Amino acid sequence: MSSIGSRRSASRRQILKGAGVLAMTGVVGTPAIVKGQSGAIKIGVPTVLSGRVAILGQSSVGGLKVVFDKVNEAGGINGRKIELVVRDSKGAPQEAAKVTRDLINNDGCQIIIDAEASSGAFAVQEVIREIGVLCIHSNSETSSLTADPKLHVPTAFRTARQGIHDAIGGGDYAAKIAKAKGLKKWATCSPDYAYGRSNTAEFMEYAKHFDGNIQVVEESWPKLFQPDYTEVVTKVLNAKADAMYSALWGGDLVAFIDQANLYGLFDKQASFMVNLGDYGVVDQVKQFPQGVYSGGRYNRTVPPTKENEDWYQNYVKTQKHKPTNWSWENDVAAQMVVEALKKTNGDTNGKKLAEAIKGMTIKTQFGVGGSVTMRAEDNTLVNYIIGYGLSLSKEPYIADFQTSPWEPIYELEKQWKKKQGYA
Amino acid sequence: MTGRWRDLAWAGAGLIALLLVPVFGAPPAIRDFIMFGMAYGLLAMSLNLLIGYSGLVSFGHAMFFASGAYAFGLAMQSGKFSIPAAFALAIVFTAALALIVGAICVRLNEIYFAFLTLAFQMLFYNVILGWVSFTGGDQGLMGGIPRPKFLGIDLADRTQLYVFCCVAFIICIAILRQLVTSPFGYTLRLIRDNQERAAFLGVNVPLVKLTCFVISACVAGVGGILLTLFVSGAYPNFGFWTTSGEAIFMILLGGSNVFLGPLVGTVILRLLNDITVTYTSHTELVLGIVILILVLGLRKGPLDLIAERLENRRQAAAQAVRDAADAGAAETRKGGS
Repeated sequence: MSSIGSRRSASRRQILKGAGVLAMTGVVGTPAIVKGQSGAIKIGVPTVLSGRVAILGQSSVGGLKVVFDKVNEAGGINGRKIELVVRDSKGAPQEAAKVTRDLINNDGCQIIIDAEASSGAFAVQEVIREIGVLCIHSNSETSSLTADPKLHVPTAFRTARQGIHDAIGGGDYAAKIAKAKGLKKWATCSPDYAYGRSNTAEFMEYAKHFDGNIQVVEESWPKLFQPDYTEVVTKVLNAKADAMYSALWGGDLVAFIDQANLYGLFDKQASFMVNLGDYGVVDQVKQFPQGVYSGGRYNRTVPPTKENEDWYQNYVKTQKHKPTNWSWENDVAAQMVVEALKKTNGDTNGKKLAEAIKGMTIKTQFGVGGSVTMRAEDNTLVNYIIGYGLSLSKEPYIADFQTSPWEPIYELEKQWKKKQGYA
Repeated sequence: MTGRWRDLAWAGAGLIALLLVPVFGAPPAIRDFIMFGMAYGLLAMSLNLLIGYSGLVSFGHAMFFASGAYAFGLAMQSGKFSIPAAFALAIVFTAALALIVGAICVRLNEIYFAFLTLAFQMLFYNVILGWVSFTGGDQGLMGGIPRPKFLGIDLADRTQLYVFCCVAFIICIAILRQLVTSPFGYTLRLIRDNQERAAFLGVNVPLVKLTCFVISACVAGVGGILLTLFVSGAYPNFGFWTTSGEAIFMILLGGSNVFLGPLVGTVILRLLNDITVTYTSHTELVLGIVILILVLGLRKGPLDLIAERLENRRQAAAQAVRDAADAGAAETRKGGS
C-alpha cells in the first residue's frame, strides 16, 4: 500500500511540476512562439496607460492607430498586417525597460515605438542599444536623448519635438512681444524636475539672447502634481514682474490657472505658457484668462489646412477623444515606420530599417511647408511646426499663431550643441 | 546532516536549478523574469529580516536598494572601477549609509521607527532628484552602465549576466538563512517578542538591531545592483516610498513567518503584474483585489498558511501517537492487574 501511495504522490508531484512549468511557459514564453508565427509585423509600444499621465498613452496609441489602421485596411505591407502590442510601464523606468524587453523577447515585436515619458525613454534607449531593433522615441522631448553623442544608438530615432527647438522658437517670439510691450522683469513658474528646469532655463536663455533687456527676477518651482499653488502664486505676485513664463503642463497647469485666477494674476502681467495650447488642457480651464500666450502643441487650426481638419475629424471619430501633441508625434512615428518598411519590402531588420529612416522626409501637415525630416546627423525630427499664439477660451483656442522659422533654430542649436560639448 | 549543511545543500540545489533554466533553452523572457524577480526578491527578503525577524517595520528600505544601485552605477560610469570593485564599493557605501541611518533610528520603537526611516528615505530620494549634475536627477543615470570584462566574465552577455545574478542572489539568500538560524537570529526573535526581557538577559538590544539593520541594507543594496545591471541604469524611483511599499506587499503576499515567504510574494506580485499588464492597464486594481482577498480571506501569506497547516497536522499526528501509546499503556496495566 505504502509503495502505491508513494508512487501516487510522486505522480501528483510530477503533474504539479508539469503544470507549473506549463503555466510559467504560458505566462512568459508561449506567446512568443504562437504570435511569432502569425505573419503580422508586430510593433511594441511601451507607454504610460495608468495614473495621472494616462492621457499620454491614450493619445499616443490613438496617433499610431490612425496610421496603422489605414495601412491594414489597404492590405498591409506586402500583405502583412501591422499589429500593435501596447504595454503599460506605469511610468517607472525599470518597468519600461522590462516591458520593452518582454515586447521583443516574449511578444515577438520586431519594432519598438517608445511612447514613454522622458525617464522611461532613456531606459528604453539602453534596451535598444543592446538588442538593436528599430526604435522610435515618440514622446520624449529631452534634448540630450538624441543630441548627446554619448547616448547615441544607431537604430534609435526621435519623432517627438525637442526641448531646445521649442526654447529657441519660443524665446524669439517672447522677445518680440517683450520689446513691443516693454516686458523687462520676468518671473518663472515651472515644475520642479528635469523637464521643467531645463525647459525654463533654455526658454529664458533664448528670450534674453533675442532681447538683452530681459531679466529674471523670480523663480518658482512647484512640485510635480502639487495640489495647492497658493504659495507659488503669491510669490509670483510679490515679484511684481512684467511677464511670467511657465512650463507647467496637464492637470497641474489647469489647477495653477484656476487658482491663480482667484488672485487676478493674469490681469497683472503677461503670461507665456508653452503647454497651454493642447487639447485636454486648454478646454479644461474653467475660467479662462485673457492675454495668455501659448506654445504650439496640437491644434486643428495649426496649420489651417483641409488636411489638418480632416485628420482631426478622423482622429476624433475613430479614437473617441481629441488628439494632443503626443498624437501627432506618434502619427509621424507610424508614418516613418510604414515608409521604412515599404523601402525594405517588409524586412524588419533593425539596421536596414534605420538606414531607410535616416534622413527620411515625409509629407505631413505637421511640418513647415508640409513635410518633416528625420535629420541623419543626430536621428531627430526637424522642420515640424513650432510657434506661439494667443490663447482663447473657446474654439479654435488659439489666435494669431506665428510659426517660427527653422533657419535661426538650426543656427542657434549648433551653438548650443557646442556649448554642451555635444558637437 | 546538520541544519546548516542541509540549508547549504538546498542553496546549492537552488543555484543548480536556476542555472539549468538557460541550459534547457528557456526563452529570454523567462530569464528576464527571474533576474527581475531576484533583484526585488532580495529587497523583500532583506526587509523581512527587519519586519519578520526583528519586529522593525521599516518604511524606508528602498533607500538602500537605491543606494546600492546608484553607488554601483556611478562607480561603473566613472570608468575607474572593475565590476567586483564597484560591487564592493556599493556594498560598503550602503553599509555606511545604513550605519548612520540605523544608529539614529533603531533606538525608536514601532511607529516612530517606521516614520523616521520613511523620512530618511525621502531625504535620500530628494538628494537624488536635486543633485542633477551627479545623479542625473529625475532622468536617472543615463547612457547605460558599462560592463567591462573581469576574470573572463562578460556581463554584457545576457547568459553570463544571468549566471552572475543567480550566484549573487543565492549567496545573499544563503547568508540570510544562516543568519536567521544562528544564535544571532534567535536573539532577533527574542528582541521582536520582548525586547525588555532581551535587555534583562544581557543582550545589547540597540547593537543587535543596528547590526541587523546594516546587514539587511547590504542585501537590499545587492538587489539594487542586480536591477541596475538588468536595466543598465539607475532611477530615482528605486528609492521612492512606493518601492518600499511594494516590498511590504511582497512580504504580505508571501508571508513573513516562513523564510522564503517574501520570495514567494515577489514571484506572485511579479506574475500578477506581468499577466495583468498584458491584458489590462488596471494593474493596481487587480493587485488591490488580490491583496484584499489575502488580507481578509487568508489573513496571512500563503506560505504562512501552508506552514501553519503542516504544523497542525504534525502536532495532530504526534498527539495521535501519544494517545495510542497512552491507550496501549492503559491496556497493559489493565491486563497486568
